[in-house]
Amino acid sequence: MRKLLFYVPLALFLTLVLFLLSGLFSDPMERESATTNKALPAFSLPDLMNPAQQWQPGQLQGETFLLNVWGTWCPTCNAELSYMTELKQQGVKIVGLYYLLPVDPLLGERFDLAELQADVNNKLQQHGNPYQFNILDAQRSLALDLGVSGAPETFIIDSNGIVRAHHIGDINPQVWRNKLAPLYQQWRAQDGAMP
Amino acid sequence: MIAEYGQLALTFALALSVLLAFVPLYGSFSGNQRALLQAKPLAIGLFLFCLLAKLALIHAFLTSDFSVINVATNSSSILPWYYQITASFGSHEGSMVLWILMLSGWTAAVSLFSKGLPLLMQGRILGVLGLINLGFIAFSLFMSNPFARSLPFYPVEGMDLNPLLQDFGMIIHPPLLYMGYVGFAVSFAFAIAALIGGKFDSTWARWARPWTLAAWLFLTLGIMLGSWWAYYELGWGGWWFWDPVENASFLPWLVGTALLHSLAVTEKRGTFKSWTVLLALGAFSLSLVGAFLVRSGVLVSVHSFASDPDRGIFLLVFLLLVIGGSLALYASRMNSVRSQARYQLFSREVMLWGNNVFLLTATLVVFLGTLFPLFHKELGLGSISIGEPFFNQMFYYLTIPFALLLGLGPWVRWKQQQVKPLLGPLSLIAVASLVLALGTMAAMQSIQANLALMGLLLGAWVGISALYELYQRMSQFGSVTQGAFKLQASHYGMTIAHIGFAVLVVGVVMTKTYSVERDVRMQVNDSISLAGYQFTLLEVYPLKGANFGGEAAEIAVHNSKGQLITQLHAEKRLYTIQRMVMTEAAVHGRLSRDLYVSLGEALPGDAWAVRLYVKPFVRWIWLGGLLMALGAFVALLDKRYRRKIIPAAPAKATELANA
Repeated sequence: MRKLLFYVPLALFLTLVLFLLSGLFSDPMERESATTNKALPAFSLPDLMNPAQQWQPGQLQGETFLLNVWGTWCPTCNAELSYMTELKQQGVKIVGLYYLLPVDPLLGERFDLAELQADVNNKLQQHGNPYQFNILDAQRSLALDLGVSGAPETFIIDSNGIVRAHHIGDINPQVWRNKLAPLYQQWRAQDGAMP
Repeated sequence: MIAEYGQLALTFALALSVLLAFVPLYGSFSGNQRALLQAKPLAIGLFLFCLLAKLALIHAFLTSDFSVINVATNSSSILPWYYQITASFGSHEGSMVLWILMLSGWTAAVSLFSKGLPLLMQGRILGVLGLINLGFIAFSLFMSNPFARSLPFYPVEGMDLNPLLQDFGMIIHPPLLYMGYVGFAVSFAFAIAALIGGKFDSTWARWARPWTLAAWLFLTLGIMLGSWWAYYELGWGGWWFWDPVENASFLPWLVGTALLHSLAVTEKRGTFKSWTVLLALGAFSLSLVGAFLVRSGVLVSVHSFASDPDRGIFLLVFLLLVIGGSLALYASRMNSVRSQARYQLFSREVMLWGNNVFLLTATLVVFLGTLFPLFHKELGLGSISIGEPFFNQMFYYLTIPFALLLGLGPWVRWKQQQVKPLLGPLSLIAVASLVLALGTMAAMQSIQANLALMGLLLGAWVGISALYELYQRMSQFGSVTQGAFKLQASHYGMTIAHIGFAVLVVGVVMTKTYSVERDVRMQVNDSISLAGYQFTLLEVYPLKGANFGGEAAEIAVHNSKGQLITQLHAEKRLYTIQRMVMTEAAVHGRLSRDLYVSLGEALPGDAWAVRLYVKPFVRWIWLGGLLMALGAFVALLDKRYRRKIIPAAPAKATELANA
């Protein structure tokens, strides 16, 4: 019994090696999103440019589209605007989810919608406007439900309103070609089919 | 051409490491005296060739030889010369050369400073070190050649060094850290030599102690410097992030600390034998596992080098040979070892056993916290992440009993300690700690039962106990002044290191409890008050450096009476080649608090996002680390480590005959 005890460190180490070996061949950045393959969470949020218009999940169904989480305060988001505009010209439907930064309550700064709209228009004119429309997530509630960890992030939503992919980081030609385009094409081909 | 000489030097080093790995070990098994005698010249030659390779690499960086891929991707011609030297170990390839230089340096040092060791032991230790050298040099040459050229097409300008690394801290942090990591290879080699010989008397522990102390000293300094660097360079005032790579450096430190204490038991009392050997194997094994984690890309970390599965496989096989081999040897040799020493429940042996239990539990916590996401994912259970709250909470619960034990331990005698004689001094220390902790909180006008109170109590308990014990020890020599000279350096070292731990604990809890921060929008002449300090933005102006542009802000800080305390100069740099934005935080440090300002983004309307922090006692964290390292240094000065250990000549002969 006592003899066996001295083999415990070796056994533990060999188990560790097995894990490290399999870890070598998987990408640590890749992770399952908790929302993938589930319906969009319920929400009712205003349009950024036309706050009278309320958007709900039902209105977004019928066509596979990209839901892009972004904000003018995020340099990477601004950088991906021009490539996404190219995608729009190729017929990809992109909806923006505007992620408003929390305002410092100590400074007493108020959120000014007109100023934000001007800022957004300015950025879109500068880099291109890939969006059909933008949903304003002022309380970041939808972003929270979707498990957004930052901006930019992009979701592929199929025609039945099911989240099919969650991409963290920007969209550039390489990411689109290698990762998102095949998924988009796959779900786009099934548009109209019942779930 | 110089780069090719560098590669040639590395190749010679590889050849010498092969010889060092096999000739002395052959000698130790065959009893061939001449083969054993080769160990020392081989070790020194190995070091010299590694040094040549390193110098050749530095030369390539200093002359901006962009036909060398490593130089082109990590340096540039406008980089200041001292950062060009830093860049020579800023990449994976370059850092391996530094690693090898350190390893061969330790090997040469062992060959030079082990005259007192029997020739047989010398041969075995150096042979094992030769094997480890062989693995790393082969890895460098075959898997990540630092001298590879991109001829005939090479860039006219390099891609510059990552701006994060363009900092004084980065010049000395990696060398210190590597000295520590690699230094544990020496304890490892001592343990393996003891395992091969099958003799686990207290002698191997006595030989291994100074080397372990030296490695631990470097590792402590390296970790502390990394923490300090992160604090002022990353711009958000944190000093430890439980990042996988930080954890990878913390693991060998924890085991190394346990090893230091366990070696004391083995040396003085001849017990804990198999345990100490295992710790010696463990400290270096964890250094190796850490190197694997950083260089293979299995974990997500800010520190990672670009990953490559082939390199990962090479390192994993190397790990399997070195760690797996040593653990197998351990298992086959250790089952015959018996400890004879007897000790009572209340004895220093048990105190140090407790120290080991807590340090090893901490190791386990960090290890699992770091690797659990990997296990979880590879078992197909999906992705999870383990963050700061887990580690913080576990360390909170571990530190309390650990610190209580630490205050008690040095008072307890070997073998057996009567409870009664200790009651007096210990209750005195307890009362004094209570007074000191409450007094400090009263001075800060915040007496409440919080983390800070707990930390202050523990810190005071450890600190006062260490000082009082030192005083008691000195008095035993007749008078205190006489005692002060007679007491061994190692005892002073222990006291200093323990006080360092107390200082560290106080720093951590005070910073955690009383730090305040604000993210604010500031225009010029705006004034914000925070924790009794008034921060005023005086001006923001453009900045022009050798390889960066950007903005600098001048911020005046006044105290509540309106007196100017300091003017802080915070920068936001844009490094032109890498297009990377870096914050250079401005810090005004006092022992009791740091004022810390970092400049953020420009906001609409001529305003700036500014981050302000007041962090009480944060400096104590690094001061504590420094004191621990100083303690190790003082302990190293102890006379007994320089006393020649000369086993009788006949003993050597019989040992050779038996081998």
